[in-house]
Amino acid sequence: MTGLHATTPSGPSRAPLLRTEGLTKRYGGIVAADAIDLTIGLGEICGVIGPNGAGKSTLIGLLGGALRASAGRIHFDGQDVTALADFERARLGIGRTYQIPRPFLDMSVEENLKVAQFSLSPFAAHTLIERECDEILEQTGLADVRRLPANALPLLRRKRLEVARALALKPKLLLLDEVGAGLIESELTELIALIKAVSGPNRSIVVIEHVIRVVKECCDHLVVLNFGKKFAEGSTTSVLSDESVAAVYLGTAHSPSPAAAVAAAPQSSGATPNPESAETVLALSEVFAGYGQAKVLNGVDMTVRKGEVVAILGANGAGKTTLANTISGAIKPTHGRISIAGEDIAGLSPHQIARRGIAHCMEGRRIFTPLSVEENLLIAARSVDRGEAARRLDEVYALFPILAERRASPGASMSGGQQQMLAIGRALMSKPMLVIFDEISLGLAPVMMDRLYEALLALKAGGLTMLLIEQDVERALALADRAHVLERGKFALSGSAGAIRSDARLRHLYLGEAE
Amino acid sequence: MAGASRFAAAVAIVVVIAGLTLLPQFSGEYGVQIGFRLLIYIVLGEAWNLLAGYCGLVSLGTSSFIGIGAYVLVGVLNAADVPISITLVGSGLVAAIVAFVVSPALFRLRGLYFTVGTLALGEALRLFMINASFSGGAGGWFLNAPSPSTNALFYYAIGLLAAATIVISACTQTRFSILLRSVRDDEDAATQMGVRAFHVKLAAFIIASFLMGAAGGLQAYKLGAIEPYGMFGMQWTIDVLSLVIIGGLGLRLGPVVGAIIVIALGEYLADYPELHIAITGVILIVIVRFAPKGILGLGLQLARWLTAPRPASGALRSGAPR
Repeated sequence: MTGLHATTPSGPSRAPLLRTEGLTKRYGGIVAADAIDLTIGLGEICGVIGPNGAGKSTLIGLLGGALRASAGRIHFDGQDVTALADFERARLGIGRTYQIPRPFLDMSVEENLKVAQFSLSPFAAHTLIERECDEILEQTGLADVRRLPANALPLLRRKRLEVARALALKPKLLLLDEVGAGLIESELTELIALIKAVSGPNRSIVVIEHVIRVVKECCDHLVVLNFGKKFAEGSTTSVLSDESVAAVYLGTAHSPSPAAAVAAAPQSSGATPNPESAETVLALSEVFAGYGQAKVLNGVDMTVRKGEVVAILGANGAGKTTLANTISGAIKPTHGRISIAGEDIAGLSPHQIARRGIAHCMEGRRIFTPLSVEENLLIAARSVDRGEAARRLDEVYALFPILAERRASPGASMSGGQQQMLAIGRALMSKPMLVIFDEISLGLAPVMMDRLYEALLALKAGGLTMLLIEQDVERALALADRAHVLERGKFALSGSAGAIRSDARLRHLYLGEAE
Repeated sequence: MAGASRFAAAVAIVVVIAGLTLLPQFSGEYGVQIGFRLLIYIVLGEAWNLLAGYCGLVSLGTSSFIGIGAYVLVGVLNAADVPISITLVGSGLVAAIVAFVVSPALFRLRGLYFTVGTLALGEALRLFMINASFSGGAGGWFLNAPSPSTNALFYYAIGLLAAATIVISACTQTRFSILLRSVRDDEDAATQMGVRAFHVKLAAFIIASFLMGAAGGLQAYKLGAIEPYGMFGMQWTIDVLSLVIIGGLGLRLGPVVGAIIVIALGEYLADYPELHIAITGVILIVIVRFAPKGILGLGLQLARWLTAPRPASGALRSGAPR
């Protein structure tokens, strides 16, 4: 434990709304939450941070009632709620969101909110229900899509719907589970404003978040979890400046120069073997693609040469993942030409494209959860003989030693960061010509992002050609040779990583100030 | 707007049901027989659609409640001189009570496991009735009361349909429908929003079982002789499931459309039983693959597409700039 623990929180001067004593959750031999004592005052916004697998989501589950505590007690609003079922706690005023949004897909946005409203007060007057519903939709920016089915919403809006639904419970305690993951700066600004708007003297909020900016700007009070235990606690500024917290969680992300570790590593533009003369691995010309009537890509031209790292940046909804899916064949372009090493891939199915040397490390990891780590890896190397497969396994294990340690564990038992390592390892197992990395840092602790980017840097030094799709601009630009900024399905900005970094337009595009 | 269309729908239903009462005047014995079967199938389909389509409880226990209703009706009528309408309510009540009793065990199972659990319930009841002595074993029971006229049966069936329409509408056209569908879409998320999922599922299960029991009772009244293989047979379960899927799972009028199609198909292919089964199977496969909301869903989609040739929903799916 850190010294910070002794200088404990200034603590809430107001009456505590929530108090846990020795809250513990065991899964067989694994202790996911270990004797956590937590006190949250009425009207307080408390942040919970910690590495992946530290037990943050377990804590939300325990507080919300989805999980039964193995030991310990939970007091909420002057009542012992440890034995209460999840719906009873919801009715007492504990509202939660899910990290991966779980809207009622076949119901409209409005109906999603009314589930909470009708379950609380089935006989409330129609006008009252409608007014409350309007207010919440207005506040969360969903008013224009109220009649659309939830399955028509993109991820960002589904996250807002999660918050809106929880608000419909009129909660005294709001549990927000990583609502900031995957958002760009301008969207984070909106999110922070939303969190502040829904807070109030009669509502406490627990924010679980990897995006440090959200925690820094919203929370009065911060708790750090590590290996299921409370590692540190205190005022936000004191916790964030604590060195032991930086060691287990923040990594370099919070140091003065965000990309210091990656940038400091041996890397110079000269390291790339003269990109102009190297052979072209991937070429796109005038590519248009989309879903049904929605055009997402509107004429993308791009070349990737051997040994090059190309970053694709852009806001949510700009078309980054669609671009990745179009290259790997999951989406057919409606117009334009894509070629791999000079061969046109029109009409090829995804597995045929994969055989031509394109590996796609998909957004959201897509691990085969019932399979073991080693089986997950070997799936990508089915066509080679056993000796070669073993050699490739060794390479992946050398890159990520934790995978070797856990080679027999099922994919489902791995933490988010380990799963992402596995996804990267799996993409490498086919000895691809080009790997597309789609949002590998999404939802990961800063210290874990450092580790992944160190691995990518090692891969780059080994001559791997990469297409990097990333939300974290600093990290992406520190690694890439060239970058493109995608905006509304077209490249708004292209150039060398250094040039892009110093381009004022990047900032504008990202902060949402464009035009 | 919603109120007006709801009123129009209610008027339409009343007109259709009133019109049905005139059927015996125009059609012969055959038409009334078919009409009776159609009405029973619609009631069963609506009950099953409430469970599977609205609440996500895919049950294969339909035959259990039909069988219970049938045995209750014959047992009561043989023992005492009770009016048929009261006996039918009794059939429904006993089925509902059985549903209530088995619900704590069944609701511990989720998804596919629930489905297998209900299947086991049906089979267990069938085997019990075959081997029990009080129920006449495999031979079953004969109804001692005089057999009713075809027209009388038809009017009872209309009454049952009217009652089913009111009850199902009360579940699916009100605030309760939102709670039902939230449990269907994601039970865990629903409970986190304060929904008492167990109570919601129990309500749907009891209502559906009541209707199935009453329909089973009426069917037994028509047959005059019942035995466990027929009344507790899988055929009921399969027929009801296929008619709802063909018509449109989770749509209010899906079972009506499905029942009409299934019965019409059965009549046209009555002389070719093998072909009938094969064609029904092919239709089911095609529907499940290409029209998850059944024939009615397909029709509604077509109508929407015709009336609004340029839907804007696609643009929103792209995650276009907010």
